[in-house]
Amino acid sequence: MRRALAILGCTLAVAGASGAAAAPPTPAPETRGRALYGQSCATCHGQNGEGSPRGPNLENSGAAAADFQLSTGRMPLPHPGAASERRQPAFGPRDIDALTAYIASLGHGPAIPVVSRGDLQEGREIFVSTCAACHSGSLAGGTLSSGQAAPPLLASTPTQIAEAIRLGPGAMPSFPRGVISDAQVNAIATYVTSLRPQLDHGGAPLGGFGPVPEGAVAWVFGLGLLALFIRLIGKRAP
Amino acid sequence: MIARMIARAGLRWMDRRLRAAALTREALAKVFPDHWSFMLGEIALYSFVTLVLTGVFLSLFFDPSTAETIYGGSYGPLRGSSVSAAYASAIELSFDIRGGLLFRQVHHWSALIFLAAIAIHACRIFFTGAFRTPREINWLVGVTLLLTSLANGFIGYSLLDDLLSGSGLRIGYSTFLSIPIVGTWVAYLVFGGEFPGDRVIPRFFSLHILLLPALIAGLIGAHMAILVRQKHSQFPGPGRNDHNVVGSKMWPTYAFRSLGLLSAVLAVSFGLGALVQVNPVWVWGPFSPSAGTTPAQPDWFLGWVEGLLRLFPAVEFRVLGYLVPSPFLPGVALPVLMVVALYAWPWLDRLVTGDRERHQVLDRVRDRPGRTAAGVWAVSLVVLLTFAASDDLVARGLSVPVQDYVVALRVVVLVVPVICGAVAYVLARALRGHPGSRLTTMEPRQIAGVLGLRRPEARRPPAPPGPRAERPAVPSEDAPDVVDSGSRHGG
Ligand code: HEC
Ligand code: HEC
Repeated sequence: MRRALAILGCTLAVAGASGAAAAPPTPAPETRGRALYGQSCATCHGQNGEGSPRGPNLENSGAAAADFQLSTGRMPLPHPGAASERRQPAFGPRDIDALTAYIASLGHGPAIPVVSRGDLQEGREIFVSTCAACHSGSLAGGTLSSGQAAPPLLASTPTQIAEAIRLGPGAMPSFPRGVISDAQVNAIATYVTSLRPQLDHGGAPLGGFGPVPEGAVAWVFGLGLLALFIRLIGKRAP
Repeated sequence: MIARMIARAGLRWMDRRLRAAALTREALAKVFPDHWSFMLGEIALYSFVTLVLTGVFLSLFFDPSTAETIYGGSYGPLRGSSVSAAYASAIELSFDIRGGLLFRQVHHWSALIFLAAIAIHACRIFFTGAFRTPREINWLVGVTLLLTSLANGFIGYSLLDDLLSGSGLRIGYSTFLSIPIVGTWVAYLVFGGEFPGDRVIPRFFSLHILLLPALIAGLIGAHMAILVRQKHSQFPGPGRNDHNVVGSKMWPTYAFRSLGLLSAVLAVSFGLGALVQVNPVWVWGPFSPSAGTTPAQPDWFLGWVEGLLRLFPAVEFRVLGYLVPSPFLPGVALPVLMVVALYAWPWLDRLVTGDRERHQVLDRVRDRPGRTAAGVWAVSLVVLLTFAASDDLVARGLSVPVQDYVVALRVVVLVVPVICGAVAYVLARALRGHPGSRLTTMEPRQIAGVLGLRRPEARRPPAPPGPRAERPAVPSEDAPDVVDSGSRHGG
């Protein structure tokens, strides 16, 4: 399975590289990626992706991990020891592609998964039974018992969702094809993206955090307003 | 002119049969004290009215059954899925039935406001000593109202068979099971068998729309009948004593004020229902024993029990050979203890103060520092426990591991209420001797006096002035402590 993925990754990377090479004036993405890598990543991941005490070996991370880390803004980490969390991406799409192509060329990692539209209902079922325990049915994210947090999925693109499912970044488990098939990945990505516009159905969604903010609103804006009202009309009659 | 004559004739005809004129005249002349805090209970009353109105609408469309159905409505992600009829009809109410979501949300918001109003009304009664003789019965009725409303809130929240409330129901089930000896029996009685089972939703439905609302309505009726019979209590003030009620008459003043409040309650509930989402069941998904979602909290009014369950160390032990599972102490024993203390408060209070007089005039909060301290301790404890129910959200917000946060909370929940109670005690003592000063205008030397930081002769004023002193001392033997209640309380 992993081997198949790796081979697929190689072919994709090669295809990407040769496609770009057709335009001579711009340097091959890999070359540009190599340069960018040297500037932003080598201090932690080593000159050739061999790793260092500050960052892991990237030789077999592959295009999927690189694209996920870069497009969600997790990499480059601002400083060693910083939390790996979603940020504004440091690079534009072209630079991300270049870095991804470079990292893919280092070894045999998985390629960027290709996501297409999937079955909405199946996506809902799998998401609620598999992902909601950590990320919340409302996509708001949640706290894990390990003390870490699962991030909100409000901004993840379908590709990032597929990458996360396959890679299992950080404290998230990875789900290989035997557990969640490609069609099911498509279904999950479809569900997550089509749930977002429904999240505020019925009014302000209060962050999707459920009864805690609801209780606060009931006290402050419900009873609070009414208490104000009775203070005003409950004054002594003139 | 003619209409007026017809109306008069009609009314006279009615009165000859019903003999209601005198009664009505009396009712219209009933006097309500002019203090805003007397309307807190009325907020609860009108929230109940809102609940019944919206609840009737919901019951027309809700299908209280766990039978598998295929949802065919307009919510795309669920279309074609096999879910319980209860959940499917909740989604239909939220997406397919005109006004359904509005009514669902108004119903939920007014339930949350209803319980908040009851809680704050109970605090007012507590801190002003309104539960004292002759109003103990209404205190008991009120506490029962609080409990039945709590139960009905939880049951209503659980009816929809969604994943979030199902997780709460599962906790409820295991809490019932944890009662030694009779646990299984009690749990089966409530749930009609093993959880989740097919019985629990229909059973909860009859409880939620029939039995408990009827009980609540009956208790509200009794609460108000007793109130009318005993007349309102009132705050101390010029011209007020234990034999009169100073305030506005029902007609024409108070009736309009009250109608205004009804409109305000409707406006706020419908405003929230229209603008703010509550319990988006389509997001949580249908209940399934193997699934879960996060963050998972009960509605605010059961937060304190959830907080107890989250904070209490998981300990199991044996008593006389019977295993006491870990949810028993925090989930059953402590809440029952708190409820018993609440019921018994009028008598506990009397035990301490020795006050057996009949009262129409309320205490000011400062008059009874001991009671005030006990109340502030209990309220801050319950507030902190409620707060502890959201430990996962707060830990995430603070970026600290939940486990560490829980340990810190355990200390906070034990220590902070005691500090709050002590501060309340000192402040009440400091204010008691100075009827004119308020929290905002009090002077440091008043506190210094209580703490014993001033010259000894100034520490004990000869006779505690204030409203208590104005009251005639009761000569009878059965109230010997009233006159020196100040020192007794301070001890
Ligand atoms: C400050 C040090 C630092 C810098 C700079 C940095 N990284 Fe990382 N990188 C890390 C650490 C630490 C991890 C492991 C994080 C984790 O797993 O939570 C990591 C993980 C990764 C991974 C995932 C590896 C895997 O197989 O899961 C990729 C891909 C990656 N980095 C790419 C990059 C790229 C590309 C850059 C430059 C744009 C970069 N990083 C810059 C420290 C750094
Ligand atoms: C055990 C809890 C857990 C489960 C189950 C889980 N995740 Fe995650 N997920 C995480 C954590 C923790 C992260 C953050 C990883 C990091 O940044 O180091 C994450 C990150 C993600 C991200 C990246 C979000 C971002 O900030 O860009 C996506 C997308 C995602 N998960 C999707 C899913 C999907 C889809 C499922 C269900 C198939 C799932 N996760 C199941 C814990 C979980």
